Amino acid sequence: MSRSLKGAAVVGIGRTPYVRKSGRTTLAMAAEAARDALADCGLTPADVDGMTCFGSAGTPRPSQVAHAIGVEDLGWALHISGGGNIVTSTVTSAATAVLSGQADVVVVYRVLGSDTRYGQALDALQVDGEGQFAGPQGYLVPPQWFAMFCRRHQYEYGSTSEDLGAIAVQQREHASHNPHAVGRTPITIDDYMASRWISDPFRLYDCTYEIDGAVAIVVTSAERAKDLPHKPVHLLGAADANRFGGSIDQWDDMTCMYSRDTAPKLWSRTGLSAKDIDVALMYDCFTFTVMATFEDFGFCKKGEVGDFFREGRATYGGDVVVNPHGGLLSEGYIHGLNHHYEAVLQLRNEAGDRQVAGAETALVTSGGCPYGGALVYGTEML
Amino acid sequence: MTEGVTDILSLPPQPVPDPDTEGFWQATSEGRLAMCRCQSCGLWLQPPLEVCRKCGGPTAFEDVAGTGTLYTFIIQHRPTVPGYMENTPYTVGLVELDEQRGLRLPARIIGIEPSEVKCGMAVRAELVPLPGGNFTVPVFRPAS
Repeated sequence: MSRSLKGAAVVGIGRTPYVRKSGRTTLAMAAEAARDALADCGLTPADVDGMTCFGSAGTPRPSQVAHAIGVEDLGWALHISGGGNIVTSTVTSAATAVLSGQADVVVVYRVLGSDTRYGQALDALQVDGEGQFAGPQGYLVPPQWFAMFCRRHQYEYGSTSEDLGAIAVQQREHASHNPHAVGRTPITIDDYMASRWISDPFRLYDCTYEIDGAVAIVVTSAERAKDLPHKPVHLLGAADANRFGGSIDQWDDMTCMYSRDTAPKLWSRTGLSAKDIDVALMYDCFTFTVMATFEDFGFCKKGEVGDFFREGRATYGGDVVVNPHGGLLSEGYIHGLNHHYEAVLQLRNEAGDRQVAGAETALVTSGGCPYGGALVYGTEML
Repeated sequence: MTEGVTDILSLPPQPVPDPDTEGFWQATSEGRLAMCRCQSCGLWLQPPLEVCRKCGGPTAFEDVAGTGTLYTFIIQHRPTVPGYMENTPYTVGLVELDEQRGLRLPARIIGIEPSEVKCGMAVRAELVPLPGGNFTVPVFRPAS
């Protein structure tokens, strides 16, 4: 059976401003991003018959967002519970809905508001599930989980704070050319080393920039895309991996992540490899997420990521441009759907000052720890 | 900030036992550290399950030695979790128990300066009361 997503394309992209505190509802922001994405590709709410999103508490349902923008007859609606781990599954679900004829035009969105911050746990008075073992120990939030991985990598492979800092500095430099980014002031490695500890081995600049905002992308068939204003961006293939029940603590080798299992599947399904990728939108909730997944996807060997970044191989003129928008670390945390926005912008050759010259392929990864996925976009169908 | 909120932030999150995990909390309340184990194939399971994930056999909680190796750890500096807002920095680790490779428990590491903690350290469990309720939790300190 074919694993191909051939025939599905992203034709429109939209977003709100990204700000620390918007004072708006998540429904209002999701609706704005959806309207913006439809306007981008010359479609109207009347053309939309599918909508999907991912998220948990505080996320407006597809039916609500559709109603809010004037879609009168939404057919296919899928709200996927999850976070960064599930971005790829959400986008590929939209593509498979289109390819199977369940929908013609699908809007995929993600929205985050000030009432959904992941970096603190002040309302966690009782914890169930696997968290009942961790929460009472003062161990409950994502920076702590990812820092556990990072420490083990440092122990086994000798990676350092300076290596993490090289990633943070490079991404901030990229963001300084992105007017939409929240964190645009360049930082040096000294700034990084002087930033305060959050969860040692993580400092402030290892952590994502949590903000308010929404992103939407429009997925339809390559056939339909022919009548639309932009050159379509094709889905070349995707893969996910979900092991260990999603358990952080029981994952067998904490020097790597889901990408250990996702990467071989993705490269096998697309016939591509790391050397074929022009732009790498690496999911970067933390610097170490980039480090571990970058190794797993085969851009360099274990323990070499710091040197790779310091030598300029992860930026313009290097091997691959990593997160030209600044990523979640510096553009802002829209849970990874902003990586898809940037991928489309780059492959349309519309990224302005930060355009990666001649970009034809973009890897977009999503997730961390035991679960996540990735997909490849291209300017041409495989 | 109201007085009520201050009180809430002073207490750590309380576990919510379920039918699969209640044996763990029952054991700690009796001063024992016990983990879920398949009674057919012998596999230790964390988090606990009603039946074995590999063979489907029945499970039960069995006492463990309480000794293990520190697989990894963090030093928490930012006040983030209720009950720990005033206690930073503190160390939390993932302890790999001697009973089975990869069988890990999250726990605070005590009795050692955070800067002295190392991956690979031998540690042993002790049980301490969790403030704010009737639960007892394991913490680990250097074995030597």
